[in-house]
Amino acid sequence: MDTARRLLDWGRRRAEDVLSVLLVAMFIAFMLQIVTRYVMNAPLSWTAELSTITWVWGILWGAGLVLRDEEEIRFDILYGNMPARARRVCDAITGTAVVVVFTWSLPAMVDYVTFMKVERSAYLGIRFDLLYSVYLIFAVAMIVRHAVIAWRAATGRGIGRGAA
Amino acid sequence: MNLHDPFTLALIALVGLSLMGLPIGLTMIMASIIYLGLSGQDMSIAAEQLLNGLNGSYVLLAVPLFIFSAGLMNAGSLTDRLLRFCNLLVGRFRGGLGHVNVVQSVIFAGMSGSAIADAAGSGKVQIDMMTKGGAYPASYAAALTAVTAVIGPIIPPSIPMVLYALVADASIGFLFLGGVIPGVLMAIAQMGINSWMAHRHDFPISERVPLREFPRLTLEAFPALLMPVILLGGIYGGVMTPTEAAAVAAAYAWLIAALFYRSLTLRQTWAAVVESARSTAAIGMLIAGALAFNYVITSENVPNTVRGILAGWEMSPSEFLLVVNLILLVLGCLLEGSTILLIVVPVLVPTAQALGIDMVHFGVVVVVNIMIGLITPPYGLLLFIVAKLSGTSLSAVVRDTVPFIVAMVAALMLIRNMFPVAATIAMWNSTSGSTTPRGSGCAEARRANAALIAA
Repeated sequence: MDTARRLLDWGRRRAEDVLSVLLVAMFIAFMLQIVTRYVMNAPLSWTAELSTITWVWGILWGAGLVLRDEEEIRFDILYGNMPARARRVCDAITGTAVVVVFTWSLPAMVDYVTFMKVERSAYLGIRFDLLYSVYLIFAVAMIVRHAVIAWRAATGRGIGRGAA
Repeated sequence: MNLHDPFTLALIALVGLSLMGLPIGLTMIMASIIYLGLSGQDMSIAAEQLLNGLNGSYVLLAVPLFIFSAGLMNAGSLTDRLLRFCNLLVGRFRGGLGHVNVVQSVIFAGMSGSAIADAAGSGKVQIDMMTKGGAYPASYAAALTAVTAVIGPIIPPSIPMVLYALVADASIGFLFLGGVIPGVLMAIAQMGINSWMAHRHDFPISERVPLREFPRLTLEAFPALLMPVILLGGIYGGVMTPTEAAAVAAAYAWLIAALFYRSLTLRQTWAAVVESARSTAAIGMLIAGALAFNYVITSENVPNTVRGILAGWEMSPSEFLLVVNLILLVLGCLLEGSTILLIVVPVLVPTAQALGIDMVHFGVVVVVNIMIGLITPPYGLLLFIVAKLSGTSLSAVVRDTVPFIVAMVAALMLIRNMFPVAATIAMWNSTSGSTTPRGSGCAEARRANAALIAA
């Protein structure tokens, strides 16, 4: 169990590194864009594309693999004031709902993402199925994470909140 | 209510799951999938809307960059230096440290676009400063810190205004400009209440900063004070777009913190990067959810239905704005600000347009309105933050916030009645002739990006 937990923690820290690098890449792309356009008067075209890609990836990667439960924006007037038992019931219901809805829609999403291989991004020439595959990472992460949450809520034990 | 209707079921899922504590962004994505699945449409439309929406909204990149620059400013102690400078300016009056808190927030507002960043970043220092030696009660210090943080996104730059520009297709440049006078108005209202409270409770006058300290403290704060000038000058001088200004803000904050003040190590920089990246993912998730759910709202024709209903009431523009104020104040007590901006406001925009209300004016009123929601209980994000920072109970903070909320609502009513925004825009038009803020239109950016993707 300890090894599993250590492995999870390690995975999560590396996922966090990736997320941070994405933000730095976005920032650098922006600076390059500004400097080449206004200072050197020879604008680069791929910088705008790179920054939007890091934005899309940052959000879905971060939300799927990095964010902890307490960091997410939620409506917690009711939930936050519930007794522990009621909260467990909610976790079991919402966790199951996430697993059901995301599993139900996963084939359609896979279809969509793989279909996007026909397009490439304008400047970097990256295939759109690769760009958009981050949604599938996110969806699978949601299924796994909420399965764990629901399992823990239902049984009162498990391998730790959220699996990355 | 028809329980077989996909839209009704999606709404039930949305409300039910978020009440049960599921993150709001995720809930919106799920509600969209449920709607699409039950109405026999392709469920992948949810992913398509979300991915294309994020990929195609270049202006939204201002959000992570402003979060990042605020993180760097806080980590690099720019805020501390500003605070000392403000103490020099207004610390000598009764309730002086309270005024310092207000003025510091106004200046910080000119650099950062987020109320949360203001409260979470400089809030601790502001509260400590006010409560040191028992000068002010902790609950009052916390309340004032929450209230002054509200100015952050009203005075440009502003993350909520970027989000509004996205949903209403309004010019970010003009929105930013429209926020200046309302922001200052709110600061004046806050200083008024602070003076009144100081006299009533006999808060102490703090030690005067000796005059010989003046040049040193000013010089020390000078690079930080230049930041709003560079940002706004850059945007309105036509040198950079608001999104680029966000990147410049981050670069400038890093430069002066690391090189000039030498108060930011590489390790601290990295910590700020990690922190900002995580906040970006959290708020981005909300935007992603809204992009997916907006498809549902649009395909069910909700904005037009609402417009039809409201048209039936035959309201004048000012009556409509009053209704909007009330709705948003009530919702602000219950929901987080970006959620309201991304879900509720798009539904109201067509009605405002039909009534001939200027989209910039509407945006400023809506943003001010929603920011007040951040300090109204029971769900006031800023209240939670300052209660935690000051170690006081939420109820004590809420009690001390009440007079300020009243003043802010009064200021909102004044702003609603056109005067300040109209005045700003008129002033702008008369002084700048034909120049408009460069590349500020959301539509422009969207078109550019559409071309980019299509090319």
